[in-house]
Amino acid sequence: MTEFLFFIEVVVAGLLAGTMYSLVALGFVLIYKASSTFNFAQGAMVFFAVLSFVGFMEWGLPFVVAFLVTIALMALVGLATERLVLKPLRNQSEDTLLMATIGLGFVLEGLAQAAWGVEVRRLDLGIGDFPIQWIIDSTGLFISALDLTAGLVAATLIIALALLFKYTRMGLGLRAVADDPGAASSIGIPLGSIMLMVWTAAGIVALVAGMMWGARAGVQFALVDLALKALPVLIIGGFSSIPGAIIGGLIIGATEKVLEVYIGPFFGGAIEGWAPYVLAIFFLLWRPEGLFGEKIIRRV
Amino acid sequence: MGNYQMTDTDNILEIDTIEVVYDSVIAALHDVSLSVPRGKIVALLGGNGAGKSTTLKAVSTMLAGERGKVTQGSITYDGIPVTNQDPADMVGLGLVQVLEGRRCFGHLTVEENIISGAYSRRLGKAQIRDELDKIYGYFKRLKDRRKSQAGFTSGGEQQMVAVARAMMAKPRMLLLDEPSMGLAPQLVAEIFNIVNELNQKEGVSILLAEQNTNVALRNADYGYIIETGHVMLHGSAESLLADEKVKELYLGISREGRKNFRDVLRRESTRHAGIHH
Ligand SMILES: Nc1ncnc2c1ncn2[C@@H]1O[C@H](COP(=O)(O)OP(=O)(O)O)[C@@H](O)[C@H]1O
Ligand SMILES: [Mg+2]
Repeated sequence: MTEFLFFIEVVVAGLLAGTMYSLVALGFVLIYKASSTFNFAQGAMVFFAVLSFVGFMEWGLPFVVAFLVTIALMALVGLATERLVLKPLRNQSEDTLLMATIGLGFVLEGLAQAAWGVEVRRLDLGIGDFPIQWIIDSTGLFISALDLTAGLVAATLIIALALLFKYTRMGLGLRAVADDPGAASSIGIPLGSIMLMVWTAAGIVALVAGMMWGARAGVQFALVDLALKALPVLIIGGFSSIPGAIIGGLIIGATEKVLEVYIGPFFGGAIEGWAPYVLAIFFLLWRPEGLFGEKIIRRV
Repeated sequence: MGNYQMTDTDNILEIDTIEVVYDSVIAALHDVSLSVPRGKIVALLGGNGAGKSTTLKAVSTMLAGERGKVTQGSITYDGIPVTNQDPADMVGLGLVQVLEGRRCFGHLTVEENIISGAYSRRLGKAQIRDELDKIYGYFKRLKDRRKSQAGFTSGGEQQMVAVARAMMAKPRMLLLDEPSMGLAPQLVAEIFNIVNELNQKEGVSILLAEQNTNVALRNADYGYIIETGHVMLHGSAESLLADEKVKELYLGISREGRKNFRDVLRRESTRHAGIHH
């Protein structure tokens, strides 16, 4: 029985960690939908956003102010990206855009380190990485408060974004652009402001993910690689599917935790780093379009 | 003589000897001139590759998105020179293009497609409902299909969605690119009926690109025939329908099968030359 409880604990912790992957993957999906490009800069955006946030806190700004200022900064990054990178490259091939996002990633990593230095920072959100007592009392499960908070925050943000895209004018614009940018532009939907919205949303997602991850492991360069775990998530879920990003993140989160705990010891640990990629390769062989990769609708 | 400006301002659209070049080298239009009188339907006719779509995109400024450029001549829409505008600007000025091939948003429902046409108007929920009701009054078929995903509707319905979506932007001028393409004659007739109704009741001026010469001229006031980027002939719809050369070339009433317009004109001129000598 305690064996089973422990297994549940591992799965729950994995799912909670997975919501964070889902969230970051959602950032990729938004940009992929709007411009058919895999945004390689997303990892750098996570690092840039949270490092700036910690920097503003160090200047003495209160938490909420630092958070808002960082969001404004990410919107500015989105604006600059749209004006200086995406707009000049509009109508260029998707490969060109991909290269541009790789370049943007390097620029952001460089900027972040130039502005805030290279040492690892501590980020204290006031939430401990300890089991919550009432959950232990009522279910016997050891669930970390930080895991639970991260999971709830990610889930809230995901739901908010999904509602935004389903029910608002801007959301309709984004879905139209995702289906056919030419037709969208012909009825006066301005690609530029859609891109700006999408990049700002991706910036907010990056900041939140960076804060949650940074609170556990410190704000450091390794966050860039952590964020790139969204790639196996997207391979599993499908690049253009919001539900796919969510489910894919949960699958990766749960699987890697389970593997880490039960199989990890045989590999000398640290299996989390590569297990998601192996899983993704199996999915690639089994279902290359991803679980939710949308069937392409043929125009009659 | 005193009213010399009148004829000009009566045209909602004037295209004056434009040349259009793609990728800085490929000339698609050489010297196209045409005008659309306010409230009228003008047909732009010609075969595949004649330059119809290029002409429409020059007006809507969609050309820039395809690395095309107007290199000579001028376009004036409603008295405003079309130069540095983008498509969203033109929609704001009341000019909307319905692109060739329907181009619905396949994953959106029929109704979401139509609503997207009002994007630039920033309407409230109630206003959107009113406008939708008005649009469904013209496109009755779409009302029953409004919850369907547009990608799964028929070709005719998708064409209607594309026109309805454009109408939702409240245009004063529509550019329609081959609305009859790939549709059964009955549906073509249905769509042209709606187009005519929109023209009459909403007062929208229409520039209509078509390969289907017969249907287009029967629904238009005036027609231009272009070939390889040149206007070959133009006149009232009746005069073109009655024109022997047009009959022979485009209306399928030919003794020797279809040929190029240039050949017919050349033969005409040699025939005339023969008479004179
Ligand atoms: N995006 C483009 N790039 C290069 N050439 C083009 C492009 N679009 C059209 N053309 C060329 O311009 C000419 C006119 O094309 P188009 O305006 O599409 O004709 P139509 O609509 O009458 O079929 C054709 O020779 C075509 O090959
Ligand atoms: Mg065409």
